[in-house]
Amino acid sequence: MISLLSKFLVSGWVCCFLSLFVVTVNADETVKSAATVEENSAQWQQTLKAAQGQSVYFYAWGGSKAVNEYLRWATREIAQQYRIKLIHVKVTDPSEPVSRLKAEDGRTSAIDLMWVNGENFAYLKQQGFLLGNLWSTIPNAAFLATERLPITIDFGEPMDGFEVPWGIGQFNLIAEYEAFQQPQVSATSLLSIAKKKPQTITYPRPPEFHGTTFLKQLLVDLTDADPRLYQLATTKAQVQLLPALWQYLDQLHPYLWQQGTAFPSSAAEQLLMYQQKSLSMTVSFNPNQWLKEKSTQQISESSVRRYFIDGAITNSHNLAIPKSAPSPDAAKVVINFMLSESAQQEKFTGVWGDPSVIIPLFDEKATIPAHPELHSSWHVLIEDAWQQQYGG
Amino acid sequence: MLEIINCQVEAKTWHITLPDIHVGKGELQMITGPSGIGKSTLLHWLLGNIPQHVAISGQIMLSGTDITHLAIEQRRVGLLMQDVYLFPHLNVQDNICFALPKSSQLFLTKQQRLSNSQPRLSKKQRRLEALNMLEQINLAHLATRYPQNLSGGERSRVGLIRALANQPQVMLLDEPFAALDPSTRELMGSWAFQQLAEQNIPSVMVSHDIEDIPVSAKQLCLADHYYQKTR
Amino acid sequence: MAAAIRRIGLASGWLLVSLISVLPIIGVLVGLWPPEHITFADIESFLGYQGLSTSVFMTLFSAIFSTLLSLYIAFMVYSQYHLSRRLQSLEKYLAPLLSLPHLAIALGLVFLFSDGSVFFVDSGLPRKGLSTLILAIVIKEVPFFLLIFSAIGRQLPIKYWLLQGNALGYQDYRCWWLLVFPALLKQSRLALLAATAYTLSVVDVSLLVGPNIPELFAVSVYRWQTSFANGDQALAFLANALLLILLALSVCILYAHEKLAYAACQSLATQGSRFYIGIINPVFKAWLPMLGILTAMMVVVFALWSFGFNLHRVSFNSFNNFNSFNSFDGFTATQLSTRLWQDEWLFFALPLQNSLLIGLLAGMFGVALALLALELQRQKGKYWPDYYWLLAIILPQLSMVLGWQILHIWLQGGYHSGWVIVSHLPFTFAYAYLVLKGPFQSVEPRYELLATSFGYSSWQSWWQVRFRLLLPAIFTAFAIAFSVSIAQYIPTLMMGAGRVTTITTEAVAIASGSQQDLIALYVLLQSILPFMAFFLAAILARRFRGSMGRQRYEKE
Repeated sequence: MISLLSKFLVSGWVCCFLSLFVVTVNADETVKSAATVEENSAQWQQTLKAAQGQSVYFYAWGGSKAVNEYLRWATREIAQQYRIKLIHVKVTDPSEPVSRLKAEDGRTSAIDLMWVNGENFAYLKQQGFLLGNLWSTIPNAAFLATERLPITIDFGEPMDGFEVPWGIGQFNLIAEYEAFQQPQVSATSLLSIAKKKPQTITYPRPPEFHGTTFLKQLLVDLTDADPRLYQLATTKAQVQLLPALWQYLDQLHPYLWQQGTAFPSSAAEQLLMYQQKSLSMTVSFNPNQWLKEKSTQQISESSVRRYFIDGAITNSHNLAIPKSAPSPDAAKVVINFMLSESAQQEKFTGVWGDPSVIIPLFDEKATIPAHPELHSSWHVLIEDAWQQQYGG
Repeated sequence: MLEIINCQVEAKTWHITLPDIHVGKGELQMITGPSGIGKSTLLHWLLGNIPQHVAISGQIMLSGTDITHLAIEQRRVGLLMQDVYLFPHLNVQDNICFALPKSSQLFLTKQQRLSNSQPRLSKKQRRLEALNMLEQINLAHLATRYPQNLSGGERSRVGLIRALANQPQVMLLDEPFAALDPSTRELMGSWAFQQLAEQNIPSVMVSHDIEDIPVSAKQLCLADHYYQKTR
Repeated sequence: MAAAIRRIGLASGWLLVSLISVLPIIGVLVGLWPPEHITFADIESFLGYQGLSTSVFMTLFSAIFSTLLSLYIAFMVYSQYHLSRRLQSLEKYLAPLLSLPHLAIALGLVFLFSDGSVFFVDSGLPRKGLSTLILAIVIKEVPFFLLIFSAIGRQLPIKYWLLQGNALGYQDYRCWWLLVFPALLKQSRLALLAATAYTLSVVDVSLLVGPNIPELFAVSVYRWQTSFANGDQALAFLANALLLILLALSVCILYAHEKLAYAACQSLATQGSRFYIGIINPVFKAWLPMLGILTAMMVVVFALWSFGFNLHRVSFNSFNNFNSFNSFDGFTATQLSTRLWQDEWLFFALPLQNSLLIGLLAGMFGVALALLALELQRQKGKYWPDYYWLLAIILPQLSMVLGWQILHIWLQGGYHSGWVIVSHLPFTFAYAYLVLKGPFQSVEPRYELLATSFGYSSWQSWWQVRFRLLLPAIFTAFAIAFSVSIAQYIPTLMMGAGRVTTITTEAVAIASGSQQDLIALYVLLQSILPFMAFFLAAILARRFRGSMGRQRYEKE
């Protein structure tokens, strides 16, 4: 009875939330479609012409062979179609382009295009490092599935045209079927699995993004998606909601890998350990990673994908252009290409498997049931509190 | 002909005032004294290696030219030390080659030397010359050996030949035979002085072993000219 | 006229050398300029950071302990080589051991000791822990110290000291400790400092195999520095200040250790005890071969991975097909393929070329500058304190290079290899100086005096005698400087702005992912260039007879 009520509340709340989105998005959309240039407009044609022969230095993470391969494909296509040279600058840490922009302080940048993640976007936007009006000056932005997906807000900060969604992230677990036999995971089921197979469960050490998101999923489950999680965190809410998480973790940690005295430093490292059979699960933001890794035989045949019972926390990863980029026109052309059907299709069906963000390719079946991101203030709170409780 | 005029060695608490020294061609001047008094220091000063811990003043005249303020490389003064310091990275022949004068003043008469047309000898020719010099003293079999593989006596002999190969105008010897055993020392000593006399090179030698001194040599004992500074 | 040229030459020499050595300070000053709002609240939150004191203590401990442990192990190994084997084979061994970068060693340990490895050995080492970290560091540091020792030892009449000691009634072992150790220790000061500074601020190895509850301090610094969330930059500033304090502290600790060790050796020597302690010896005879085997195992594992031998694939297949756990079912030689190498060749050809070019130039200039600095000081008669020359290695690299990046942007410098080479110079210079100082000071000055007396100008005698006598040490210094340049990641990235790709920038980016075969391939590539450099240096050093501090006579 109570669970039914809470489920009703949750779904009701989610509906409200999404409809709120839809309203704002619709409002935006009408404004947007009017303001987005058309492919065949004079303005865009001018942009195309100016961009010919230019180079675009794209600062993006270089640790994934899949992404690198995709970008190599994109380089070839872009060179052929637009005579633009796309150069993938492999960064190790997403903060590298940010500190470069900070050092450059407005002078002509070395960066034309960058792959931005949520934590850095707020900073970049506030400091005024980004070029605005992207949505209104890039034709394919009209096709962004803003109605279906929460992709106008990045981690609590409205995009406001300063960045463009590129793909979708949905938090999921890649696990051994033997250990995780149920399609969905809850806090309680996780604990029992940990007890059954001790030393094989763990999560990346916060404040690593995957680790914090793992904790957020647990928190959502443990507090039954308390509505206060989606609003600015108040001290009262903290005191009432967070202890549930700590009590749970206190129970869980002794059964974790190395009894919770050490954690993987990153999701990639955890995947490595999973491949090496030290662990029975790993975390990912790419809902199709498990399939792609299996097909290239990077992980075992018996690996499956699991997600949390309330839905996978969903967000988007995005592209942005620095205000002081040397070739902003060419960068816009590249973004336009990245949002095109062929590029998004290749991204989804090719080696990468990253879900699409545009309407024509939006496939509800391919994505996991989504759950909205918590308010960004909770993210920081959880990280700090975790450090206090377990980090020392 | 070497002349040392008004030479004075000054330290904080003592000083040595030397009488004027004249060393003619082929002559040997001995400098003796207790150890630590500064014989080697004086010798190095003659070479041009200015000592740091004492102040030596004076004038050095070589064949009428004042060389007191010349750099070492311009003085054409030879030095033979107790540790012969044959270059370890060169074999015997190359050690001697290294010492041969730059421009070929080897086969030339004095007239030719004074004129500026001096053809440079090639490396091969220099090597040959070095080998010749070794042959003259019956040490040609050592030509390709490295210094580490020579005995003490052989080393001393090669050292002297190397010094002579440079055709110095003055030869300085800093206890060069001290490391040798008595019989070798005697042989080396007489052979060295013979070579020096033959080539008419004025020499200054430092030793504190009386037996080293040949009869014909002039002697100067530094202790005789040593004065404590009064307050 | 000649004097004027000489003076100009000297002045420009000093200018050049001062510039290179002061660059690190400038970098740190600019890079660590405090952000606008540092308040007491920031300091409070910094000090209140959970686990800070443990983290700081662990970091300091791991740095000092691993350095000293490596020193003593290297010393014992060196003694064995001097006493029972020929020195040449020592240097032959060193080349491969020195080529694997630190991260590769850590990765190698992980690959080797993980479940899926061919050589799986349950070593009992935690996957992430202080002991694993120290092991990874020691494995790399011991060969480094050995290289330093062999460069120093060439200049010292060690054989004669031992002979003398034996004659006085001391067993070989004691002779080593009482006679040779103090001399080697004194001259290895710089190397010790470099090793400690490295371990104190190493991030990638700490992330991989270091403990993280709490994490090592360098990792925390890195995290704050690369985070732009509210307040993190202020924390980064404070953390860097603390890191500098830690560095200064380690300098003091190392200095104290040197004094203590000296005093201990002196007191033991004056006591004159002559009894025999020889139990530990056999272990050290085997140490170097053991290290060699370990490294070889790592290389084999990496190579296998890069050639497509995927143990998991094999065991998956066998598990599915035969329902057994026999992992070698289904493995045939035909599974090894060069496909990965062929595929990636297009992509690593250019970075490899860049690395080679930059390494050669940065290495050569680094060695040249080091020689210049040493010679200028010798002529002056006064040697500046060691840590001044090594500032590039001692000061925190991230902040330093950040400062350079800001200056570079102000100067509107381009993003080509030239600037990258300049950014590598302080590091290659520092390492070259480190290696060359001992041998340089030990060259008998009388050789040059003799040459000068033969009529060679000071310039000529310097080249023909001093330089020539230092050649083996110079080769070693070049090999190290070259490898240091190859391994640089942050300077290349920040100065080159991604335009200049080297094998290391590629490798680090790949290593942040989870593709084991690709990681293995790039690690191997990263190691090939230094390996060739060290190998070549070892061969050349043997061919060109080195200098000896005093002539050693074998036939008396």
